[in-house]
This record gives sequence, structure tokens and C-alpha cells, in this order.
Amino acid sequence: MIVCLAVVGHENNPLYIQSFTESDDALKLHHIVHCSLDVIDERVNNPKKSSPAINEAFLGLLYPTENYKVYGYLTNTKVKFILVTTDLDIRDADVRNFFRKFHAAYVDAVSNPFHIPGKKITSRTFGERVSSIVKPFGLNSAS
Amino acid sequence: MVREVSESCVESLLSEIVLSYCSGFYANKPELAARRIEAIGFQVGHQLSERYTMDRPRFTDNLEAIKFICKDFWSELFKKQIDNLKTNHRGTFVLQDNRFRWLAHMSIDPLVQASGNIQDPSAMAENKSAQATGMHLYFPCGIIRGTLSNLGIECAVSADISNLPACELITLITYNSFSYI
Repeated sequence: MIVCLAVVGHENNPLYIQSFTESDDALKLHHIVHCSLDVIDERVNNPKKSSPAINEAFLGLLYPTENYKVYGYLTNTKVKFILVTTDLDIRDADVRNFFRKFHAAYVDAVSNPFHIPGKKITSRTFGERVSSIVKPFGLNSAS
Repeated sequence: MVREVSESCVESLLSEIVLSYCSGFYANKPELAARRIEAIGFQVGHQLSERYTMDRPRFTDNLEAIKFICKDFWSELFKKQIDNLKTNHRGTFVLQDNRFRWLAHMSIDPLVQASGNIQDPSAMAENKSAQATGMHLYFPCGIIRGTLSNLGIECAVSADISNLPACELITLITYNSFSYI
């Protein structure tokens, strides 16, 4: 189940943070997201020689904590998407799929002429779209 | 889902932007009008770059980003690629489009083609029409600057219209290293 989603701009400024569960502490999730930013920096600046594509947008599993898995995605415009989930057996392909849809929703939200680049995304449509992408996520990988 | 926009609407919108800013809002201050039009282009380029870089792997250096603009970006906007790209390998790139779509329907004053410093009224008319056409290029310059800036590359873009309908867009990259994050 997806617990938290975050969009972080290229100066590490938060553009969108949303938690999808009431039970967990929102602050703890924000802290996890913040720590994962460092991991993304490392991953991109020191590409491992063994990794197949250093220029791919999807960064994969960033680091597992005791209950959560954190996935990262870096766009061409240096915007980072971070996904925190409690599912322990998720397929890579599902996460990639999710990020692709999320990226499309993000692009549509940013193309809004009333959106100020660098400020938080306040579009309600974006929130609804994200909820509709997040809901079926847990169901697919539960099988 | 691909949405389509009528090309004549886009062209009328662009000429109207130039007209309102040059004769309306900043009537006797062409530099201010130019700066505003370029800023509008900057925002548009910023947003377009998000959309058109969506499915591509990340760029490794400035040249790749410029090539992206010449090929994919230009084809999305104008249905053709940039015809010629020149560089001095020190951060200056010249993008040449032999038939710039947004200038295609503008009349070319035949006197403009003649070169030389002739001090007479016909030369003044040349300058005026060249200046008027030049105002229409601030918007595409802004688009390129906005796109590159969203990819992390600070630059300055200017246009050269000595041979209409061909137009050259000169991009000077000011910050000469590619920043990852």
C-alpha cells in the first residue's frame, strides 16, 4: 500500500507531499522522504559501473527501512518523485508503471498557466488524479 | 489523447501579443515590450519542456540538450527539425531554420534584401520593417531559453533575421557545466 508520495523540485524544495494513511506519523514519512533525497544525489552523481542505464529516469529502490520501501524517479527537469510504500513484494514493473502515470499527471499540473514554478502544486484535479492512480496500486501487487 | 490547435489561431495569437505589447502596453518602449514578450516565451518554454522530455532518458551534456531542441522539440512545435546547427564548442550554438513557420506568412520587404549603408528614407523603412519582424522573434527566443533553463542550462538567446524567411537563433550558454542536481 502506498503510504506517501512526494514531488521535490530541483533545489530540493517540496512541490507536493501527500500521505495516504492516517495511522502513520506524517512527520516520520516526511523525514523518510527527506533522507531519500540524499540517496538520490549519491545515485546520480556516482553511477555504479554495473548499473545498466545511468540516464534512466526510474532510479529503483533507494533504500529499505524496517517497514517501508522507498522508490525514486528523476525527470529530465531535475524534479524528483519519491514513493514510500509498505508492500514488501512489489514488482519493479508496477512501480515503473505507477511513476509513468504520475509523471503524466505532474506534467499536466505544471502546464497550468496559473501554477507558479517552484511553488507547491495546489491543483485539486491533480490531487484527485493522484488518488485515482494510488488506489489500484495495492490491489495489483497483492496477487 | 492528443489535442489539436488550429495553426492560424496560434499565429494570430502571436501577432496579437506583439501588437498589444508594442503598440498598447509599452507603446514607446520597445525594449520593455521585448522583455515582456520574452518572459512569456520563457514560461511557455518552461512548461513545454516538462511535457516533451517526459519519456526520454536524461541528457548527459549541453550538446544533447541542444540536439533535443533541434530535433524532437522543434518537430513537436513546428513539425520540422532545425535545418542546420553550428557550434564553436565553447558554449555558443547557432540554430538555423530555413523557413521559420511563424514568420512564413509575413511579407518580406524586397528593399531589406539589399545591403549597404544608404542614408535615405527607403533605408529607414527597411529598418522599421526589420525591427517589426524582429519583435516577433522574442517569443521563440524566450521559448528556447525557458526550455534550456528547465533542463538546468542557463543561457541567452537572440535571433538573427538577415535572410528571411530563414532565421538563426543564437544560443549562448552562460554557465558552462552541466549540473545534475
